[in-house]
Amino acid sequence: MTVGTEFYLLLSAGMFCIGLFGVLTRRNAIMFLVSVELMLNAANINLVAFSFFYGNVTGQVFALFTIGLAAAEVAIGIGIILVLVRNYGDVDVENATTMRW
Amino acid sequence: MAIFEISPAIALLPFVSFLLALVAGKYMPKKGAIGGIVATGGSLVLSVLAVIAVAGGSEYQHTYWMWTDSAPIDLSFGILIDPLSALMLVVVSLVAFLVHIFSLGYMNAEGETGLPRYYAELGLFTFSMLAFVYADNLLMAFMFFELVGLCSYLLIGFWFRTDSAASAAKKAFLVTRFGDYFFLIGVVGILATFGTAQFASVGGTESFAAVAESSLSDSSTALWMPDAVSAQQWITGLGLLVLGGVIGKSAQFPLHTWLPDAMEGPTTVSALIHAATMVAAGVYLVARMFAFYALSPTALGIIAFVGGFTALFAATMGSVKNDVKQVLAYSTISQYGYMMLGLGVGGYVAGVFHLMNHAFFKALLFLGAGAVIILMHHEQDMWKMGGLKDKAPVVYYTFLAGALALAGIIPFSGFWSKDEILFDAIILGLDDPVFLMAYAMGLTAVFFTGFYTFRMVFLTFHGEPRSEAARDPHSIGWAVKIPLITLGALATVAGVANLAPVEKLTGIGNATFLTDWLDGEYGGFDALTYHQYTDTAGLETAYIAGSEGTTVLIAGALALGLALAGAGLAYYLYNVPRPEPHVENLGSVRDVLYSNYYLDEFQVALAERVTMPVARAANTFDQSVVDGVVNGSGSVSLFSGDRLRRIQTGVVTDYAAMLGIALVVLLVGFGLYGGWLL
Repeated sequence: MTVGTEFYLLLSAGMFCIGLFGVLTRRNAIMFLVSVELMLNAANINLVAFSFFYGNVTGQVFALFTIGLAAAEVAIGIGIILVLVRNYGDVDVENATTMRW
Repeated sequence: MAIFEISPAIALLPFVSFLLALVAGKYMPKKGAIGGIVATGGSLVLSVLAVIAVAGGSEYQHTYWMWTDSAPIDLSFGILIDPLSALMLVVVSLVAFLVHIFSLGYMNAEGETGLPRYYAELGLFTFSMLAFVYADNLLMAFMFFELVGLCSYLLIGFWFRTDSAASAAKKAFLVTRFGDYFFLIGVVGILATFGTAQFASVGGTESFAAVAESSLSDSSTALWMPDAVSAQQWITGLGLLVLGGVIGKSAQFPLHTWLPDAMEGPTTVSALIHAATMVAAGVYLVARMFAFYALSPTALGIIAFVGGFTALFAATMGSVKNDVKQVLAYSTISQYGYMMLGLGVGGYVAGVFHLMNHAFFKALLFLGAGAVIILMHHEQDMWKMGGLKDKAPVVYYTFLAGALALAGIIPFSGFWSKDEILFDAIILGLDDPVFLMAYAMGLTAVFFTGFYTFRMVFLTFHGEPRSEAARDPHSIGWAVKIPLITLGALATVAGVANLAPVEKLTGIGNATFLTDWLDGEYGGFDALTYHQYTDTAGLETAYIAGSEGTTVLIAGALALGLALAGAGLAYYLYNVPRPEPHVENLGSVRDVLYSNYYLDEFQVALAERVTMPVARAANTFDQSVVDGVVNGSGSVSLFSGDRLRRIQTGVVTDYAAMLGIALVVLLVGFGLYGGWLL
């Protein structure tokens, strides 16, 4: 017995919305990063689900690439957060507004 | 011929001396003079070899570098050596060589500063002129024409620390540039019309004059021809545009005003500018493209008229000047007027003959004036001289030879060429009143020429010394005497090159060597010969009493008589122990002549009253309207940018929200457009 593709899509949409909610409401940069990861993985679920649906592994390969990309993104994100802490002594994203016009 | 293979060296040798003097002049003996003498001497030897090769019956045209060969118009650099350019190469390199030697006595011995710069500029000047002379197309000629102008600017302003020299250099540059502007348009016009700027038809390419000639009968042979005017009118127009450059460079009325001011440069430079380079370039250009001018009787008439007028106009001004160099400057303008007159009346040989003779005697007179200036401890006012005859016999006798040639006294060189010009003018003048007017002005100028020349000689060398410097002149060295003696000999005998009146009167053959030379009897291109030009121009001639011999005699006697009358008047007025400045008796005429017919004032007024207001209006238009549009569009984007940047809050959450909203809008948009939503 297999689970229908539409359930995977529902799961993915839900995860994406949770991630988006986190991005829009959190001020903590680490939570921000976690939320972005949620959105990325929601997309991954989509890729794998459709790959399974069509019986084609291309989507899974894409998912692997996205995971690799996410790792790199996290490394950079944490680097930015480190700099934030050094400069403002805090991880609040709203502090870093001095670089605008 | 092997000599033709190395002919580029004729111009490149002085260029090498220019580079040497520029880079290492400070460390060289005589500050670069030796290099210059060797280089110009080498050019002279090569030029003489080229003349010998042409005399042996050959000619040379070779394209060395193709600038663009995008059909239908080719732009190239090449060398053309035919009788005319070979002759001119010898004249230019000879005068440059002698000027370099003279400079040892005039510049080095006087302890001038900036000598490496002087010799570098002299080398570049010689290079540009030589390259201009053997250029094989009009575009290349134009480029070196401009380079000649630049060098004369640099040399006239050699003593740039004095205000007058700096402003004279600027004036020379601007006035000649004004003429060159028309020349440039003319070059572009000729290229656009005929698709070529070659002087000589060689191989597959035809010269622009040849294309122009065939386009007169069938205008479709030209690359492009405006519909509004006839081929004849268009060719005349192009010829007159190029003539603009000639009038500027050869100091013809009304663009002659730069030349008297150019006396601010060293006297050696004046000798070079007046005799062989710069001023000679204009007349040479007319001779070079004479095949083209021969197609347009109107252009020839204008050349003749401008020349005759300038000859008289400048001669009257020269008659009252007190500065020895000023007298010579006006005589140069006047003599180039004669050459233009000669060329304008179709006397191609006469014009070139006078160009050659004038190069010798005017270089001689200027170098002689330079020697006088050395003798006089740098005094140029003739009223402070006098009595130099016995103190410096070499200078006196060579100067006298030059003066006799300039005044046109038989048998000195100037007589033969001036007589030929006036003869060519009168045989046309008897048929056409315009040429008769030009002839009359040229003839009247002969009297003034005789007068101012001998006024200068008597004031400078005769009478009693009128100042301390004249009583105790500075000594002069061999570097001064050698060029003077060489040129003195040439000024005396160069006339034998073309004894046309002798041949016409006595029937002795082979007395007109130069005519045969320029007529392609030896070597040369068939299309570039005297009889070809005469056939093309087809000017109507007439003789007094229907006899050529009578006309020759009457024209010659008139010219000689007037020259002697002028010289005699100068003798009567100024060959006295204590001459008086008789100009005082001229009254208001004197003021007009002293002020050069107020032409400088007129040109300044033209600039201040006409050009300045126009420029000011244009400036206002530019500042208000053009800048207004530009600034207006700039301020619109500034303002909108200022408003738009406020959405950049710097808060990451806001950006994420914008991204999210945009995604939703995009999805809804696609949904509506695709039809699966609602």
